[in-house]
Amino acid sequence: MKYILMMFGDQASMMETRSVEWIKEMIEFMGTVNDDLTNAGELVSAEGLADASQAKTVRYDGGIAVPSDGPFAESKESLAGYWIVDVESEKRALEIATHIVDFTHGPLEVRQIADAPPEY
Amino acid sequence: MEGLLRELVPQALAVLVRRHGQFDACEDAVQEALLAAGVQWPRDGIPVSPLSWLVAVASRRLIDEWRSESARRLRESTAAALAPATPTPVPDQDDTLMLLFLCCHPWLSAPSQLALTLRAVGGLTTAEIASAFLVPEATMAQRISRAKQRIKSTGTSFDMPLGSERVERLGVVLQVLYLIFNEGYTASSGPQLQRTDLTSEAIRLARLLHRLVPAEGEVAGLLALMLLTDARRAARTHPDGTPVQLAEQRRELWDAGQIQEGTTLIDRTLGSGPLGPYQVQAAIAAVHDEAPEADATDWPQILALYEVLEIATPGPVVTLNRAVALAMVHGPRAGLALLGTLDADERMARNHRLESVRGHLLELAGDAEAARHYYQRAARMTASVPEQRYLSLRAARLAEPDEGAPPPS
Repeated sequence: MKYILMMFGDQASMMETRSVEWIKEMIEFMGTVNDDLTNAGELVSAEGLADASQAKTVRYDGGIAVPSDGPFAESKESLAGYWIVDVESEKRALEIATHIVDFTHGPLEVRQIADAPPEY
Repeated sequence: MEGLLRELVPQALAVLVRRHGQFDACEDAVQEALLAAGVQWPRDGIPVSPLSWLVAVASRRLIDEWRSESARRLRESTAAALAPATPTPVPDQDDTLMLLFLCCHPWLSAPSQLALTLRAVGGLTTAEIASAFLVPEATMAQRISRAKQRIKSTGTSFDMPLGSERVERLGVVLQVLYLIFNEGYTASSGPQLQRTDLTSEAIRLARLLHRLVPAEGEVAGLLALMLLTDARRAARTHPDGTPVQLAEQRRELWDAGQIQEGTTLIDRTLGSGPLGPYQVQAAIAAVHDEAPEADATDWPQILALYEVLEIATPGPVVTLNRAVALAMVHGPRAGLALLGTLDADERMARNHRLESVRGHLLELAGDAEAARHYYQRAARMTASVPEQRYLSLRAARLAEPDEGAPPPS
């Protein structure tokens, strides 16, 4: 079953208050998470996104679709990155997410990818 | 075996296209023969005449394809199959060059040029190319298919461009090879900072091109630039993936063989005619690579070369690089002043490098607070995760005076 683990929040602002030591540990932690997930045969994809300030949003307004500068949600609630994992159960997906949040302290949304076969 | 196959793909393709025209159909057929070889040769051994094998298998596929289309095609293809063919096809050097020109046709988009070149000249399979660019195989297959349709619709024939057109087209080929190299070297997406398959492939194709047109200085220049840049590969990233700046790199990890080869190449072409941008960039890389340690870098020479480059190819990125050299020769304030002239340049508006270089020069000038501000700004602007982290780290270091800033780069 595939789950997406979505990290929200303004990572750049958060990093600005962190110590050199914390940042180094974070880099190592993130590397280990991806390596472990790969070795477990669970990692499908892991990406960090460019800062929300670089985003553009296209909205339907007055009869046409129009792009404008800025993210959809406020920076502090913007998607910052994600993991897509292929795991045995929701329990395992939550276990992975818990491990990450234990370190980062930021919220991670866990949602199933709706690629289950239809049942009929 | 893989290396042999890759070499033979463009040769086989050239033979078929000379015989039948129809670049797109021939390319598909050769691709299928390549895949068949990949399965059969490990099993049955490499054929005595591997090129003939590929050509024969590809021809059969082509004929089968046409046979299933129409009776008219059947007559045409039968005639072609019965036409006297040399038992061992003799590849013409010019044919591979022609293929390069075809795949790098200016009317194709850059992603299409890259993909098609890697397949038809590089001999990579669609799956390999998709993997290198981190896109699904089906997507890459479509990209290549559409590229070939585009070539077909332009009515381009298998003829060598001449005169000024040849110069222009060769420029495009060099651009494509450089893009392939860069894609591998800096990895525009994905968590790894480098993808070595593409850099090796770009170097291999540049070598091939250099053999085909040894008199072209810019081709030698591009090959030299690739070698001199790739030589630093092992020192370029920390084990955790963060980038290591040039000045901080462990130079004992640099590949001395590649540096030697690159330096020799560029030394030979300098003075053989007007200098093109790849040659100048290679010369700059050579000056860097020849310094036994960062402090020994001949910055005045690098500055002079950037001044030459700016005449050949003026632009904000060159100016940005020149500002760094200027700072190393005349002090950070001089470099910062030059950066100031780029603020009004539209093309630099979204470019994180302007901010990160500014941060670096401010750090050198001793203005830690301002430097921190610009590093953090650059961190928000970059589309590279390793670079985001690196810039955040640089900023964080400046907030901890006891940590000490890393040596200047």
